[in-house]
Amino acid sequence: MKKNHKNKFKTPEGYFDNFNERLFERLAVEETSQESTLIPKSDGFTAPEGYFDSIYDSTIERMKGKSPKVISLVGYRAVYYAAAAVVIIFVLALAWDWNQSPDLNFEDLASMDIETYFEDTDYGLSSYEIAEAVNLDDISIADITEKILEEESILEYLDANVEDLEDLDLDYDELQY
Amino acid sequence: MSAEETLVLELKDKATQSKAFEVLVNTYKERLYWHIRRIVLDHDDADDVLQNTFIKVYRSIDGFKGESKLYSWMYRIGTNEALTFLKQKSRKLGVSNEELQQSLVENLESDVYFEGDAIQLKLQKALATLPEKQKLVFNMKYFQEMKYEEISQILETSVGGLKASYHLAVKKIESYLTEPD
Repeated sequence: MKKNHKNKFKTPEGYFDNFNERLFERLAVEETSQESTLIPKSDGFTAPEGYFDSIYDSTIERMKGKSPKVISLVGYRAVYYAAAAVVIIFVLALAWDWNQSPDLNFEDLASMDIETYFEDTDYGLSSYEIAEAVNLDDISIADITEKILEEESILEYLDANVEDLEDLDLDYDELQY
Repeated sequence: MSAEETLVLELKDKATQSKAFEVLVNTYKERLYWHIRRIVLDHDDADDVLQNTFIKVYRSIDGFKGESKLYSWMYRIGTNEALTFLKQKSRKLGVSNEELQQSLVENLESDVYFEGDAIQLKLQKALATLPEKQKLVFNMKYFQEMKYEEISQILETSVGGLKASYHLAVKKIESYLTEPD
């Protein structure tokens, strides 16, 4: 048995040699016993037979873009004339409006249109990438909201809506105490 | 040089990228599919998002600097694609994200590619009530059996935060499952 000379307690021979092993075994057992017995082990989703074998080909197909269908124009002569007439009327109407409409510029776009464009258009950037590219030094909170938020209201909102403080992605180095 | 680093170099090289892309798709297609499927729930939507994910990976590979692992980067793209897809879907249908989640779960009852029983359907209903992050963490940990460190790289959240999210998700799901219908 090992003796500790600073105090008179003793431990069994080899106690510390396999301590880590026993600790990890116990942690594994505890983790298993904590696993939920209520939640099913599988979620019931399936995929069509042979689906995974076709993914590469269908992805390549999509990348190339599907070739447009070739439609014979024989027998469409009447439609031709009708279409030509519609185009002429459309061009005339456009020319008429052109003289009367004022020039449109960026300020004429409704905020909603801009927001819709960014929501619906795949411009290939994540929110993080945009945040990295936009310089926020000259932007204050008053530029994006008309209401002045009271500190108390902010705290109330966070209390009611944020379950996990990690979601806020705070940079603790910048916080001042 | 690891197999992953070699694959990335081959993907960036015009002479080898076609073959390397096939290897990439075949290596990750199943894992990425199930990850995306658990977010969008519908098979056709998952197929759509999965293909877009691979195309985006292929087209952006030159921008991949190797700061994270290739699979973490791909999972991140897949997750963003799936969440953006749902956002666009809810806008097109004119419903809120919560309403969309509810309707996706209701559609599962008639989905031929969902063979879940009553308890598995109830699990999906429970998941639909969770905040996005908790739902993601739960699916990645419980069904995909990913390690917290791996999830942390993909979702760019600390391991501690992930553990808390997972714990909360399990508690909420258990409580939902024990409620009478």
